[in-house]
Amino acid sequence: MQVWTSKHKPKKTSEIVGQKKGLDSFLIWHRGWKPGKKPALIHGPPGSGKTSLVEAFAEEKGLEIIELNASNYRTASAIKEVIGNSLSQASLFKKGKIFLIDEVDGASGREDKGGIKEILGLIASSKHPMVFTCNDIWNPKLSGLRNACEMIQFGKVDYWSAIRRLDEISKKENMTASKDILSNIAKRAGGDLRSAINDLQTFSQKKDLVISDLDSIGERETDANIFDVMKIIFKTSSGLAAKLSIENVEKSPDEILWWIEENIVNEYERPEELAKAYEALAKADLFFARIRSRQNWKLMKYAIDLMTSGVAVSKKEMYRKFSKYQYPSKIKYLSITKGKRFKENAELAELGKILHCSSKKVRREYQPFLKNMVKA
Amino acid sequence: MDIWTEKYRPGSLEDVVNQRHVVDRLKEFVKNKSIPHMLFAGPPGVGKTASAIALVKDLYGEKWHQNFQELNASDDRGINVVRTRIKEFARIKPIDAPFKIIFLDESDALTTDAQQALRRTIEQYSGSCRFILSCNYSSKIISPIQSRCSVFRFKPLEKADVVEYLKRIIKAEKLSVDSAALDAIFELSEGDMRMAVNLLQSSASFGEKITSDSVYEVASQAKPKDVKVMLDFAVKGDFKSARKKLHELVLKQGLAGEDIISACHREVYNLELSEEKKVEFISKMGEYDFRISEGGDPIIQLEAMLAQFMISSKKQ
Repeated sequence: MQVWTSKHKPKKTSEIVGQKKGLDSFLIWHRGWKPGKKPALIHGPPGSGKTSLVEAFAEEKGLEIIELNASNYRTASAIKEVIGNSLSQASLFKKGKIFLIDEVDGASGREDKGGIKEILGLIASSKHPMVFTCNDIWNPKLSGLRNACEMIQFGKVDYWSAIRRLDEISKKENMTASKDILSNIAKRAGGDLRSAINDLQTFSQKKDLVISDLDSIGERETDANIFDVMKIIFKTSSGLAAKLSIENVEKSPDEILWWIEENIVNEYERPEELAKAYEALAKADLFFARIRSRQNWKLMKYAIDLMTSGVAVSKKEMYRKFSKYQYPSKIKYLSITKGKRFKENAELAELGKILHCSSKKVRREYQPFLKNMVKA
Repeated sequence: MDIWTEKYRPGSLEDVVNQRHVVDRLKEFVKNKSIPHMLFAGPPGVGKTASAIALVKDLYGEKWHQNFQELNASDDRGINVVRTRIKEFARIKPIDAPFKIIFLDESDALTTDAQQALRRTIEQYSGSCRFILSCNYSSKIISPIQSRCSVFRFKPLEKADVVEYLKRIIKAEKLSVDSAALDAIFELSEGDMRMAVNLLQSSASFGEKITSDSVYEVASQAKPKDVKVMLDFAVKGDFKSARKKLHELVLKQGLAGEDIISACHREVYNLELSEEKKVEFISKMGEYDFRISEGGDPIIQLEAMLAQFMISSKKQ
């Protein structure tokens, strides 16, 4: 028996559902691509059709896919081996090639050391278009890649498109399923079309399906997305909900602290609430400082509660508005200027040696005067 | 280019400004060629580093570099520095001398772990090596280390001390500086000799005749101007802009949190607030200043402070 998700895989790009915008930008990107241009980085939640798109596109255009996914070792040398050799070779059997580096955020920092860096180095010399996919575009590991790529966003597959697709498949499989059942499956999949199709196949084996049968399948634990976490913290009035919101997100508490820091101003407007929220955050920050200086990890619970619940309950009532949550500007700034800061710190340390003081002191006490002193 | 703080750094304990109570003892140590481990505590720019270097020069003469290692704890603050660089230097025998000297500047920046590691190192190598630690706050040095050191407290410099030293430089550099300018330099430097000499050298770039105007001019160039702008935003209730300025000050200009608070403190009296509010602001600043010195993140702590300023000026 064939798995439906591969049996009913889209064969043409027009069969990709619910990603009109993403699909269009992908096609435009490919049309404009020539050696030296940016590769594409398709980001979006699981089951939204990222890999399917590339596969359908290759099929349609007769391209050979050279793929590397998280199941491969992706160390620098492994990547060189797989990709490096075929970078400039023409395809033997097909009209052209396309590289697919799937699930880049799955690259393990330790095991796949140097992998992403290696890929970045290869990009410029590639004679064939290269496509990356990932779930979490804001993963710090991808900061270098973000700048080097054309970003294409895939969203969750919308409810109606999912139902339509399930309907098509059930008809092809001669399965009788009511609209109710299909919409229920679509709903619990929460925008993940792959899991919806998997569920559909599971239920297809039972005759006379009724809604209560669906309960036999547990809902999937999904990785919370940091933007959803922001939404909960800023919209909820329940301290507990705010605290629990960060449990399933793959970010460290001190990184989440900076997400909250960035977005308080995007949500709260009343001055008293701003002050309360930042005070809660400032107290959380003090606990982080104590954890750092004394390695006292027991204090983590206070830091987390203050920054989540503390910030959540700073508002009198929920703001009924759409807030665009943003990536922390501090983290963004630090990653952009990393090289420059490194160089500057080295210079300050060098001066410090001559002046018998720390680089911090040079920056504070000499730097403002240096321009004048050179003249003197 | 010569930087005057280096050019006129005391070459011998004789030249160290004031601090007689410390210097006299240090001279005895040199005479007897025996020194204990020492902890120098005191405010910045009063002669801690100067005394340490002067002591070493008096003790070892020309070849002082051979047996002397200077490390800055604020740049290398982790435990690894103690385990590697300090140990490596301490382990090697002194050259033509009974012991070597390691000067650990700004040692209050060492992490607690590093201090714990240092405590054993001090004992282990005391046969061949002496430690001089300097710090602003001796309370940040763990007591086992304090107990292994003789503690010397450096006093803030008097106006006469600073002026006398500046006059020596003025003479050597053939400058003409009026007494109002000297007053201004002392006032702005708050008794910090390093700052005073820097101010003098910077002012000299405007010409050999230095007036109080040129001193203030230089000082205002070096002062973070944006602090006033940031405070004004907060007082007006425009928190978003105040926050943006703050990020600029910390991230782009690289200012330390403590310096931003000090600048705020100087600006408070220029804000359009009732006198009572100003006092309220100052009391709040003290709280956040303390938190930053406890290790709090300057951006987050100062944001909370600005938000407090915003609501309390609204209530006015």
